[in-house]
Amino acid sequence: MLHMSLRSAWYRRRRLAGIAVAVALGVAFLAGTLVLGDTLQANFDNLFRQVSAGTSVVVRNSTGISTDRSIDKARGLVDEQLVATVSHVDGVAAAEGQIVGYGSLDGRNGKAIGGNGPPRQAGNWINDRSLNPYHLVEGRAPQAPDEVVINKSAADTGDLHVGDTTTLQTPQPVRVHITGIATFGGAGGVGTSTFAAFTLAGAQQNVTRQPGKVDSIVVRAEPGVSDTTLRDRIRAVLPHGVQAITGSQYTQERIDSVSSTFLDLLRTFLVAFAVIALLVAMISINNTFGITVAQRTRELALLRSIGASRRQIRSSVVTEAILVGTLGGVVGVVGGLGVAGLLKGMFDAFGFALPAGGLTVHTSAVVAAFGVGLLATLIAVQLPARRASGVTPMEALRSAGEQRQIGRGRRLTALALVASGLALGFVAATTATVALAAAAGLLLVVGALVAAPIAFRPVARAASALARPFGRLSLSMAGQNARRNPRRSASTAGALLVGVALVSLFTLLTASLRATLDNEVRSGLTADLVVSNPSFGGGRLSPDLADDALRIPGVRTAVALGGGPLELNGTRSIVSAVDTSRLTSVMSLTTVSGSMSSLGRDGIAVSKGEAQTRGWHPGSRVDLTFPGGASVPTTVRAVYDNAQLLQDTVVPQQLYDSHAVQPTADAVFVRTNTGTTTAVQRALEPIAQRNGATVQTAPQFADSAASGLETLLGIVYVMLGLAVLIALLGIANTLSLAVYERRRELGLLRAVGQTRRQARSVLRDESVIISLFGTVVGIALGMFAGWVLFTALSDGGVFSAPWAQLTVIAVIGGVAGVVASIGPARRAARVPVLEAIGTE
Amino acid sequence: MTTTAIRGAVARAEHVTKTYGEGQALVRALVDVTIEIPDAHLTAIMGPSGSGKSTFLHCMAALDSVSEGRVLIGGTDLATLSDRELTVLRREHIGFVFQSFNLLPAMTAYENIVLPYELGGRKPDRAWVDEVIRTVGLGDRLTHLPSELSGGQQQRVALARALATRPEIVFADEPTGNLDSRAGAEILGFLRGAVDSFGQTVAMVTHDPVAASYADSVIFLGDGRIVDRMEDPDPQLVLDRMKQFGG
Repeated sequence: MLHMSLRSAWYRRRRLAGIAVAVALGVAFLAGTLVLGDTLQANFDNLFRQVSAGTSVVVRNSTGISTDRSIDKARGLVDEQLVATVSHVDGVAAAEGQIVGYGSLDGRNGKAIGGNGPPRQAGNWINDRSLNPYHLVEGRAPQAPDEVVINKSAADTGDLHVGDTTTLQTPQPVRVHITGIATFGGAGGVGTSTFAAFTLAGAQQNVTRQPGKVDSIVVRAEPGVSDTTLRDRIRAVLPHGVQAITGSQYTQERIDSVSSTFLDLLRTFLVAFAVIALLVAMISINNTFGITVAQRTRELALLRSIGASRRQIRSSVVTEAILVGTLGGVVGVVGGLGVAGLLKGMFDAFGFALPAGGLTVHTSAVVAAFGVGLLATLIAVQLPARRASGVTPMEALRSAGEQRQIGRGRRLTALALVASGLALGFVAATTATVALAAAAGLLLVVGALVAAPIAFRPVARAASALARPFGRLSLSMAGQNARRNPRRSASTAGALLVGVALVSLFTLLTASLRATLDNEVRSGLTADLVVSNPSFGGGRLSPDLADDALRIPGVRTAVALGGGPLELNGTRSIVSAVDTSRLTSVMSLTTVSGSMSSLGRDGIAVSKGEAQTRGWHPGSRVDLTFPGGASVPTTVRAVYDNAQLLQDTVVPQQLYDSHAVQPTADAVFVRTNTGTTTAVQRALEPIAQRNGATVQTAPQFADSAASGLETLLGIVYVMLGLAVLIALLGIANTLSLAVYERRRELGLLRAVGQTRRQARSVLRDESVIISLFGTVVGIALGMFAGWVLFTALSDGGVFSAPWAQLTVIAVIGGVAGVVASIGPARRAARVPVLEAIGTE
Repeated sequence: MTTTAIRGAVARAEHVTKTYGEGQALVRALVDVTIEIPDAHLTAIMGPSGSGKSTFLHCMAALDSVSEGRVLIGGTDLATLSDRELTVLRREHIGFVFQSFNLLPAMTAYENIVLPYELGGRKPDRAWVDEVIRTVGLGDRLTHLPSELSGGQQQRVALARALATRPEIVFADEPTGNLDSRAGAEILGFLRGAVDSFGQTVAMVTHDPVAASYADSVIFLGDGRIVDRMEDPDPQLVLDRMKQFGG
């Protein structure tokens, strides 16, 4: 029996190959994402191990508050005197103070090295060779406070050499002399990040600006002294608020942190799209197998009449699916390695630099991707297999080509699904319930798939009718062909429908979010100019920049907006730090109660939303805890309407800066006197440039604030592109099967005078009808779902339908139909006239 | 050819009625048909199109169910059998030859012949299968795919398959309908030979008087009822009888 299934599958190998390709693409994507995840994990693990390989114990401030900027928690500093204390502990071979902070190096051309994304660090040069992961390859260690060692890849990219002088934005611009170039574990640096190392005094002076303090103390044990023993001995001499952990604890902490803050998110994001691709593949596989079963009805019936049991028929179809799934899975896993490389390249291209290194292929990833692919194929084939086993022996005697009518059950189910989906959607939109919105979306997708065959017939008829007055015979015939088996045509379009619906949904959401953001920034901003660093990874600005700006004639006000992570009554929160007395002159804030300008030294302001969730109101006591461990009692003095440019808590700048380590600004808002904007902008530009920042007018800033969304949409498009590709493959597959089925008819048409070209046109038009049907219904579905989701998610957001983009999607859908038809059309045109008529 | 006494019936239809549809659209394909297919006989079933002869064959062969009455094969009432049991019955006790599309396109002639054994997970009875193959004259064609065989050769493969499991009865539905007269005569000769030399029981539906003349007896159906019977038919007699249907 197995032998028979294999023979049969081999006989129809070309028809099954298309299905295997769909499986392979889905599996490749899944394998690729899993391998990418493992690779990144391995690279980060390796990186962190290398960084603290020679470190036995790390001494640091015990209060750490996680931040969204770095994998390390924001921590306060410790006294430099502790270095000496720790050095005297029995078993310590070496102990050095360490400072790591922000510092962006300018290259020879005066621009920041590395551009967007990669971390830019400045700190101190550790003299102990084992404690320092960097090793000098050229020049010498820094000696004077303005001397630095920089990493090799930064030097190469920025065209900098030993003896050169350049600027380091810390973010205050500092002139530095390069005395040495170092490598990191044999490589030019950590990924594409840059590092500049001062002497300890230089780092205190230029990076943290806190003399007598260090970030942490790194300790090397004497031979024979275990890390844990040394840690315990050191703990005994530390004052309150300072902790000691072993090097391996420190490494593990960072590995866990990068997993939870970045890798898990990335994995989830990628796997979500891989699952979408596989779902689309499943729709396609189900459809294709359904067609092959229908085409083999007589064969299956013959088998039944000579004694094959239902189970044997069923298992022969399942065997085929296993074969196809296995083949697709193997090809997919191999292709997945390529996909992992491509994905990595794509993220690099979009500006998220990830650490370099070879691919890490775990057996678990391979098994998982392969297994999921096989499972998806098996699930997708269940319905066709059941239909196959239901073939009665009598059907061997009937003529082929009889088709089932669309039943009343389907009509009612479709109606119920679509109606309840729409109703639920409206309810979700009006009551702002996201869970309902998701349920409505799901109902509509299923409803659309069930309803598609019903809707398809009139659509195809309309296409035929449309063709007649224009004399386009091919379109008219294509319409008839597509209508011949509306169920098949519609489920072929179904995979594309789902893909396009998702594309439209994301396009719509992005456009609406962007419009909302744009609107809020525009209406919330009364400043004329904004100085900011447009890059992703956040190049930061010196808070002095506001003072520099104020000295420019024509500037009425300049306000720096900064902030960072704090604990508010023990709960982590990112706060905005700003000079609140001047804030209202650059932003139009609606205060619900209290006044922004009268917060005083110990008052804070919170957003309406935050006030509601935390149950705060003017007069509430809130304790702020800074990363250094300092705790400051404050009072809520104002509640403001939610604002796009501010976090949910505003802390007066003076209060924030007096406790924060290396305080920086994200943006400086400038209000000018009437008519001086252009002149001020020109004067401001060189100052901004020294900080690696740009000056934008308020509308420009509003635009660029939303541009990150476009980048994200670009990535989402690429991800969904694969699902759409699988869907198109499904269309090509179905058409190939149709060509096979219509051989006699194609031959007959050619015999009575149809040209090859006409034969191709008919097939192409049929493909376009199917793909446009899927695209248009998909867009409609995506738009409705997008509207529901957006209305439910955002309260008072600006809904925006990006007609131009949606039109482009529709056009692409049509063109894709043409592309999908190329192969099958060529085959249709090649059908030999005589042989086709002769075939039984 | 002498008329042999009926030794026993391999298959029997008792008061079989088969209807399709309901109410106004009710079609009576068979009405109270009682027939015995005698052992080691070639029985032909004839009738004009629409007479119910194919429906009768399908009901006898456990391909279709009856509305009233019962069908027995080897003493077993088909109505009492489950789908599984029917499957086993078709595989082990019945052989089929259809008018066309008798073979699986992916398998060689030999593989098609032993397919019922494979489906049952049994080893083919080599000696018997070889004899059948020799009888239908397929020796040099066994490794060919159906698409590489002529229509007559394909029907010979189908016949060999039908005989390969030594079924109690072979049902043939217009086995020569798609063949030219020479190939048709060959197939009929093999069928006749199977009855004479192996004692095979065969029931054959046909509309061809020449084909019917190979049979031991002919049953004439008209409008779903048995209208006549003829023993030791000859083509002219059958043709004359058929002409009466035309009216």
